Order: sequence, then C-alpha cells, then structure tokens
Amino acid sequence: MTEWVRYVLPAVAVASVASPAYTMEYLSIEEAQKQAFPSATQFTPVQAGRIWKAEAGGRVAGYFIFDRVVGKHLYIDYAIALTTAGAVQKVEILQYRESYGGEIRSPSWLAQFVGKNNTNALKINDDIRNIAGATLSSTHVTEGVKRILATYGSRLK
Amino acid sequence: MVAGSNSVRRARPLLGTFVEIEANGLVQAEVVGAIDDAFEAISTVHRLMSFHEPDSDVCRLNREAFDRPVKVHQWTFDVLRTSIELHRRSAGLFNVAVAPALQAMGILPQQYADEAADVLRPAPEAVELCDGNMIRFRHSHAKIDLGGIAKGFAVDRALDALRRSGLINRCLVNAGGDLAAFGSEMQSAHIRHPRDPARVICQIDIINEALASTARRFDPFQSTETSGSAIVDPRGQTPANAIDGVAVRASSCMLADALTKVVMISGTGAAGLLELCNASALLITSDGEVQITPDWQSAVHLAA
Repeated sequence: MTEWVRYVLPAVAVASVASPAYTMEYLSIEEAQKQAFPSATQFTPVQAGRIWKAEAGGRVAGYFIFDRVVGKHLYIDYAIALTTAGAVQKVEILQYRESYGGEIRSPSWLAQFVGKNNTNALKINDDIRNIAGATLSSTHVTEGVKRILATYGSRLK
Repeated sequence: MVAGSNSVRRARPLLGTFVEIEANGLVQAEVVGAIDDAFEAISTVHRLMSFHEPDSDVCRLNREAFDRPVKVHQWTFDVLRTSIELHRRSAGLFNVAVAPALQAMGILPQQYADEAADVLRPAPEAVELCDGNMIRFRHSHAKIDLGGIAKGFAVDRALDALRRSGLINRCLVNAGGDLAAFGSEMQSAHIRHPRDPARVICQIDIINEALASTARRFDPFQSTETSGSAIVDPRGQTPANAIDGVAVRASSCMLADALTKVVMISGTGAAGLLELCNASALLITSDGEVQITPDWQSAVHLAA
C-alpha cells in the first residue's frame, strides 16, 4: 500500500463548519400508535396526551405511553407500547433533536465544504442524514423506560 | 429515490445507542414489516452479546467457560471466530479479552469481576473454539467483552434481514455510527469531529458497503464535551489516546467495527491489515491532522 494521504483540519475557531442543529422526525404519536397496535380500532386517553388504551373489537390490546427525555443539548420524544400484562412490547423513537445554541447555522454551511478536486465537490442539496463519529449513549431513554414501568407498569394492568 | 417507492425511517434504543433504519420499497406496509424484522435481529444480537445482561452468552461465558465448555448461539460463535482470526492477524491488537482492564477503568461494570484479578495480565488466545458451538476459556481470569465487534455484527444481521426480505431496494442501518448500506444508489454519512461533536469534518460516500467509526464518547444530555476513549491497548492495557477518531470502510460492518479498534491503537501501522481485509481507513490525530488510505480519497469529502 502506498503512503497515507495527509490533511490538516481547519482550526476550531472556523465557525462556518459547525453543523446545524440535528433534528429527525420519525413518527407522529398517531402513526406510532397505529404501528404499535395495528389491529386496534380505538385509542382511548387514560391520561391526556400521555397514556392511551388501545382497544380492538371492545377488548384491550395494550397501552401506549408517550414520554420525552430532555437534556442540555438533546431531547428525545419516544413511545412505549405495553402489553396488557404490563410488559414492554416495543420502544420507538418519535423525534430526536440535538441543538447547540449559538453554533446553529443555516444549511448553507455545507457550501463551505470542498473536496480534494472538483469531482469530489459536495452537492449542496445533500442534507445530513447519517451521522457517524462520537457514539451517542441511549442510557437516558433506557432510564426513562424503567421510570415509566415503575410508575405505570402495575397500575395499567 | 426510486419512482413509486416508499421510504420509511425508524429508530429504537438498542445496543446502548440509537439504531436507525431507513429502507425503501414498493409497498409501505411491507417496508415497515421488514424494518421490524431487522430490529428484531438487532435485539437478538443485543440479548446474546451484552456484557450487562446476566443471561447473555457473553455473561455465561465469563462466569463458566473456564470451568467447562459453554454452548453458545451460532451468531456468538461466528463473532468469536472472527475475533480470534483478527486477534491473530493484528498481532494481538484486536482482543476481546480486555474486559478486566475496561472494568478497572470503570467503563464496564464490576459484575463477576475477580477482585484479585491482575488487569495487566495479557490474555493471548484466551478463547478456544470447540465443536458444536462450544467455547472454552484457557485462563481462569479471562473475561470477554464483544463491545468492539458485536455492534457491527448486529448491523450486518439487520441489513441481511432487510435484503433477504426481497421487498427492499435500498436501505441503510446506522447503529450509533456503525452503519451499512444496501442498494445501487450512493448514500452518504457525515463524520463528527471527535473532540467537538457540533462540527462535521467530512462527508463519506458509501455504496453497498459498511462504515464504522470509533471516537470519544459523547453525551449531549450533559454537555457538548466528549469524554475519553474506551479503547484499550492490550499491550499496556491503557486507554489509546494518541488518535482521536477513526472511520473504517469494509465489506461487512463487523469487520469495519473491529478494524476501527486496531487503527485506533496502531494508527498508520494498520495499513497492512487494512489491505489484507480489503478495507480503507481515515484517522484523526489529537493534533488535528487527518490521514486517509489512498484507496479511499475519492469517497471522502473533507471540510475546507
């Protein structure tokens, strides 16, 4: 193999390469409800905006709980589908948002990217869809699920 | 985007991170079903290979495999077989038996930890594969952690489930930065700066291949700061800190994931192994230099 190719990254002070806030919307509450309980014909609120009872043909199919975990730079909306026995059937992320306050830039930040040659030049229309690099921890959602189970798991049966 | 196709994107908390799957197919309900099956495959890998769940294959091995051979799932056996081969080919740098050192650093919990265990004890070839998917440990203090390879393997199993469904023409599975894509269309991933996750340092084109990355740990619930590396150099059993971040391209995500650990420790010295594995790499040194294997230059678009 020939030599590795070397580059020097721009100084951290170059603000224009800061990424915009990263937001991803996966599912609305209604979509997530239908997907968690496809046979359900009705979702009756148990606690407004938070807990629903899924019913299919007059029988309880399970419970759907909406929750949000909020941090300094991240918030995540997620939903838990519980079986009638109070066991977790599924945990689904509904929306994910990372924000860095003053560092937020318009999508035109991508124009700041250049490749090594013209054929490498970035297409400005490309949005950021897949992020790699530092690994995000899902601990907070896992803790949220535990908290929900401790609070409602036995009460909803 | 294929005309008349439905794109579905879902995320679930698995493998200690957020696993995201995006897939395209002709019928939306079928795409959703295939994505469910792919998440199920990842859950299975999580159940089998978690260091934290007492009933996982990994925990059973760590408790019992020195006393008697332990039967494991075919998938666990496959991951261990690859791990042993990489251990041999990397002259010991890839090592799944560094769990005691990670426990000493507080990265892994102390369950089943031997208080008297000497964490500096090297554990060469600690794992022995036996017939019938049986595993035996050669050292009484051996403890494995598949955290350096299982996530990539899980991504491969998810992609395989989507591909085998026959209902998907394009998909991407991303488990917290370890990702793999299927389909004839080019897809892209952005790499965060290892020390400043708000910055993106490059965009990488991927097509029918896998990309894995390793860097400092990052918790945006707490701050924008990243913490130290969770990679241990088995030679000194100390954290590998000379390189800030690594991305590796390979045919499978398991291979890419495992190779990031070797590049994180040996840097440009990993060139031979990368070539042998038909893989490419990008590394970011702690003084802000980026180095890329020459075969990967055209697919990596760096920030100006």
